[in-house]
Amino acid sequence: MFDISRRSLLAGAAAAAGTSLLPSGAFAAEELVAATFGGTWANVHKQILAPYFTKKTGATVAQSPMLATAQIAKLTAAKGGPAPFDVAMLDEGPALEAIDAGVIAKYDASKSPNFASLNKKFQGEYGPAITMQAIGIAYNPKTVKAPPTSWADLWKPEYKGRVGITSLASTLGLAFLLDINRLEGGTEASMEPAFKKLKTLLPNLAAVSANFGAHGALFQQGEVDIGVQNFKFAEELKAKGVPIEFVRVSTGTPGWKTTMHVVNGAVKPDLAYAYIDSQLSAEVQSAMQKSPWNVIPTNSKVPYEGLVASKIAKTPADLDKMVFFDWQKVNKGRADWTAQFNREIRV
Amino acid sequence: MAGAMEKKSNEWRLALPLTLFFVVFFVAPLFLLIGISFQAERRMTGALGLNQYTAFLGDRLNLEVLGDTLLLGVKATLLCLIFGYPLAWLIARVSARLQALLIFLVILPIVTSVVVRTFAWIVILGRRGIFNDAIVALGLSPTPLHLLFSETGVVIVLTQVQMPLMVLPLVTVLQRIDPNLASASQALGASAWRTFFKITLPLSMPGIIAGVILTYTACVTAFVTQSLIGGSRLLYMPMMIFQQAMDLQNWPFAAAVSVMFMISVLVIVGLLVALSRSRAAQLYG
Amino acid sequence: MKRVVDWNEFSFKALFWLLSLITVVALIAPVVVILMLSFTGEEALHFPPTSYSFRWYKALLSANELQESFIISIKVAAITVTASVVLGVSAALAIARSQKAWARGLETLFMSPLILPALAFGFAALMMFSVLGIRPSLFTLSVGHIVVCVPFVLRTTLASLAQLDPALLDCSVSLGASDLYTFRRVTLPLIGRGVASGAFIAFMSSFDNVPVSLFLQDARTQVLPIYLWDIIQNQLDNRAASACGVIIIGTIVLMVLMERFAGFSRFMK
Repeated sequence: MFDISRRSLLAGAAAAAGTSLLPSGAFAAEELVAATFGGTWANVHKQILAPYFTKKTGATVAQSPMLATAQIAKLTAAKGGPAPFDVAMLDEGPALEAIDAGVIAKYDASKSPNFASLNKKFQGEYGPAITMQAIGIAYNPKTVKAPPTSWADLWKPEYKGRVGITSLASTLGLAFLLDINRLEGGTEASMEPAFKKLKTLLPNLAAVSANFGAHGALFQQGEVDIGVQNFKFAEELKAKGVPIEFVRVSTGTPGWKTTMHVVNGAVKPDLAYAYIDSQLSAEVQSAMQKSPWNVIPTNSKVPYEGLVASKIAKTPADLDKMVFFDWQKVNKGRADWTAQFNREIRV
Repeated sequence: MAGAMEKKSNEWRLALPLTLFFVVFFVAPLFLLIGISFQAERRMTGALGLNQYTAFLGDRLNLEVLGDTLLLGVKATLLCLIFGYPLAWLIARVSARLQALLIFLVILPIVTSVVVRTFAWIVILGRRGIFNDAIVALGLSPTPLHLLFSETGVVIVLTQVQMPLMVLPLVTVLQRIDPNLASASQALGASAWRTFFKITLPLSMPGIIAGVILTYTACVTAFVTQSLIGGSRLLYMPMMIFQQAMDLQNWPFAAAVSVMFMISVLVIVGLLVALSRSRAAQLYG
Repeated sequence: MKRVVDWNEFSFKALFWLLSLITVVALIAPVVVILMLSFTGEEALHFPPTSYSFRWYKALLSANELQESFIISIKVAAITVTASVVLGVSAALAIARSQKAWARGLETLFMSPLILPALAFGFAALMMFSVLGIRPSLFTLSVGHIVVCVPFVLRTTLASLAQLDPALLDCSVSLGASDLYTFRRVTLPLIGRGVASGAFIAFMSSFDNVPVSLFLQDARTQVLPIYLWDIIQNQLDNRAASACGVIIIGTIVLMVLMERFAGFSRFMK
């Protein structure tokens, strides 16, 4: 079933590509290097975006899975020379760091026809948001009988040694900690309430993963029964046959933008724009919204449907009700919080 | 005669290419590492200072991580010695055919990818892995043990992964020991245990020390095993360097952590070498 | 009295045999587990598999990225071995023939990558290439690998040179043979097996390297162990098992060949 839907997606994307603006073959035999996130993002980009991009431009793309922080590190290391890759994919916090470090370029909307059809809030100066991430709780319905409704459920004594979270290297872990902090009365300037609360979660922790991908693998292996999880990632695991259910928490769904950028010193800047523009197109975004991917669209021409509509938002306006954080302030504190997080969770 | 002298003095030139290569690509980066560790600012503004070192030494967590890492190496190395020594002893004694087979089995893990082996251990040690299935089935524990993401798990896997580095030097040394020594000792009435502790063990000391140095340095720096089996709640020095360098892009601090780590490892290796020299002096001096 | 001695001997041997047995089982277990897993017929990774098939090996045929990273790893390993052999063997010849302090000093220097944390070296090399404005590439990656792989070639070559009778060389030279001729016809055949063994270990060690590659690979040169690591961490895809299966089988075949033609296990000690 999975294969069939995959094939139909590809066919859909290919058909849509036939109506593209750019003449096919303009960049024949050229290769773009684009960063992507590991796991599910690598898959969706390979199966939907890459073929669409190739059809449209005739160029090929090498997609390299890297954590946002690793992308910035590699770009910083190569600063001044040609960049190691042309397109960066980042979460909101790291994107600000990348701007700060001067490794990503301002986005020239005139080179990207689809940019105009994005919702205003997704038109970033340094690059468009390609989706909205939403987090909540994922649990194994075979072992967790009462569906959780709030973060507080993770603290229940019956989940001793069964809860999974991620480290602050992942925005998932960071957003979770920030939300706990908010609920405990803290702000981005003072994280003490969150760390105090985190301490009381320790007996319940089965594992702290280094990134959200590894975190998902733990659900698959049965190492973790309940924990914080990304909406789209949990739904993809479910489609794969892993016993997992995603629920939003009652205190509001924390979310953040995921963005794409042309890097400074890009070797193939024109292809980079074509690639990002492909990601913004209605065709690609509606293909990505379908199960098992469930990527929340940012193009205003793509109506919300499927699991996105039933579980996260009926309209783009619903997204405004999500919980957001001040990533500028978050970035200031991240190094210290990482040190403190290391300290608190150490066994 | 003069020709031979000239020849001898020319031969050092053959070492020149590798020396040059090492100076450029090994020594220079290490000096750069040390240099950057003295940068006072994360942004590397050029201001120099001991800030990174005071930051490292000023936080107990860092020292604990260093201590944990060095101790992790000790634990895994000791296990390697306890389990590896008997195997090496056996290999040195069995028939040539069996010996070849056993050495083959010992070498197999070194040439099989660490990632592959570590992956196998995830399957073996997981909550629903064979190890835990066996433990629950045998009634040794009512619930599966937490081996993955625990230090016990990391020590078990490191012991297996690095075992060959211990066994191989031991085999070499044990094969060189004259078997007549042990026979003589036993003929004189010494028990098997006494013979082992008085004759075989002291004579195999050089092999033990070589094995310990190789195993220990490999265990403390085993980034893949430490992070895949240990997870994020167990922090060791390699992960800390990676976190600071790539995750937080704090190169000066990462450099200082690297330097502290390298110095600690070198001190321990130095002590072991000194120990082996003094042993040798005692034995043969 | 006799009985006591027997008991003593028995306990000694029993303990040594028992510990050896545990060690041997522990050494082989992971390899066996992976091989069995790689033939699973199931969708999810579970041990022991309930059914067996070749489906995950077939799946490898269409796993393009996996194949690409495999080819990159082979390329890097080939470059690394070639350079390590050229640089390592010539350095070994110089070091082995001298008793001077500089020779011991150089030997220590060349062997030190085995002792120093590879991750710290990888990081240091990244910073240097960054300072020099050299973009990460197949070149930087290979350079890093050569540094950590040269010690293997050096060690086995030195070991085989130590077994070489210097009289043979003197003989050849005094009979009027040139240095190069002596090297080609006398030295090389005699140390060939040691060099080949070192080259083999260097190859496997480059093929397997993570800590250096982590810093020096660029977005285009994703090496196999890191790609596998990513799959294992992020997706626990069964193709990881079959890819591991291919690596194991390939390694065993190579090892048997090396043992036959170079007798390399002698050089591992």
